Amino acid sequence: MSLVELIDADGAPLLLRDLYAGGDPGPIVGALAQVPELCEVALPFIGKALGASAVSARYKEFAILRTSALLSCRYCVDAHTVVALDCGLTLDEVRALRGELVLDDVFARPEERAVLAWIDAVATGTGPVPAELGAELARHVADHIIVELTVTIGTTMLLNRMATALELPTSPDTLQRLAAVGLAAGAAASGSSSLASPPSPASPASLAAPASPGETPVAVGADR
Amino acid sequence: MSVAEAVAAGQLPGRVWFYSNYHCNLECTYCLTESAPGSVRRALDPDQVLRLAREAAELGFTDLGVTGGEPFLLPYLVDLLVDMSEILPTVVLSNGTVFGERRLERVRELAGRRVEVQISLDAPEADLNDELRGPENFAKVADVVPRLVADGVKVRIATTVEPDRLDEAQHARLCELHRSWGVSDDDHLVRPVISRGRARTAEMGTVFDHHQIPAELTVTVDGAFWSPFGPTMRDGRVDTDLLLTRTVEPLAVPAAALERLVAGRPPGDDAGIGIR
Repeated sequence: MSLVELIDADGAPLLLRDLYAGGDPGPIVGALAQVPELCEVALPFIGKALGASAVSARYKEFAILRTSALLSCRYCVDAHTVVALDCGLTLDEVRALRGELVLDDVFARPEERAVLAWIDAVATGTGPVPAELGAELARHVADHIIVELTVTIGTTMLLNRMATALELPTSPDTLQRLAAVGLAAGAAASGSSSLASPPSPASPASLAAPASPGETPVAVGADR
Repeated sequence: MSVAEAVAAGQLPGRVWFYSNYHCNLECTYCLTESAPGSVRRALDPDQVLRLAREAAELGFTDLGVTGGEPFLLPYLVDLLVDMSEILPTVVLSNGTVFGERRLERVRELAGRRVEVQISLDAPEADLNDELRGPENFAKVADVVPRLVADGVKVRIATTVEPDRLDEAQHARLCELHRSWGVSDDDHLVRPVISRGRARTAEMGTVFDHHQIPAELTVTVDGAFWSPFGPTMRDGRVDTDLLLTRTVEPLAVPAAALERLVAGRPPGDDAGIGIR
């Protein structure tokens, strides 16, 4: 039961009817639809920030799932555990991002460690992000990737706080998928000890090419 | 296309409605807003109504309307109507049953101004009318309408009916009645019960698509809606299916949303169920 009424297809406001044409658009849209003029501009932005782009789907899910776990957002962790698996992340990688395994034990590539260190610092820190983390990330990825990753983290934080504060419900489909792969729903809400241990600084590596466009689109409100 | 151009082209109706309040002294069987004496007191701020009325005029709207609830339960209503009518011609909807001598004295201030008082009467006989609208409704309306007309207040009569409820003979008797009170046929509206609010709960009224009713921008404490038939209540909650925006001020925000929705709609396309 969410804190606010989630608007269903019968109550879909006029400006948003297209969003409901394909069925229930999920709790995030259902909540945002309370304010149609906000919803109609927020959703395209969220779609751009979290959807397929120059940043690979893999890194997008690093940012979304890891940030969600760090912010203990049950709804987003549940939903993006499924999305991450659909994007090709392994079960261990997903578990590590959720804080159930140590990141360094799972992610060995320097570039990925730099990305994860950046995510942890941006999502959990206050004030400036340590300069060495930015410098290390910049050794591996281009500026526009850094910008987009950072916006993805920030957008995820917005959704994390919204979904948590409004108590958005995880859908039965997602719960079923989580059970099928043996992952607990709602794990993020109780916290995980390994989340407190950021990944170790990445070892120097050659400047990598920017991640390729995501092979699998990341659906906003994927938890239908 | 601007709002003014859309209004001039007949694509957008010229009237902006305000739900002044939701509470009412009656509890009609088909009420869109589930209004009743015990309804939560939710009213638009009269200063905001005046600001929005001025903006409506600037945007190119041509008329204003006030509805509720029963607007005349608000102690400041007559002053508000006087001020609104200085901005644009204004119609106010009333059940016509709250006009005691003191209130009637105040309402006389509307005489000679650009204000029309639209009073509901659903049948030419008390029993049929009062079955829908409550005890003594007919008698009170029959008393007040001629007095308002005699005092120079412009009065219209609105009849809301189920399709099979008012036959031709009853309709003719109703018209004889309002003519005898000094209300012309031009000032008598007949419209169907709409299947929303309490009517929907009671399985009454005509089901409609929003394209069948005029897109009259309607401002409430809950936001701006497609028409006065939009901000209906069911089981104590406001329906959102005809919600435009939660933002009502500046009025340009919901007006632009409405204009966008009616763009390309041919003039007259909104007359589907006879509400004009």
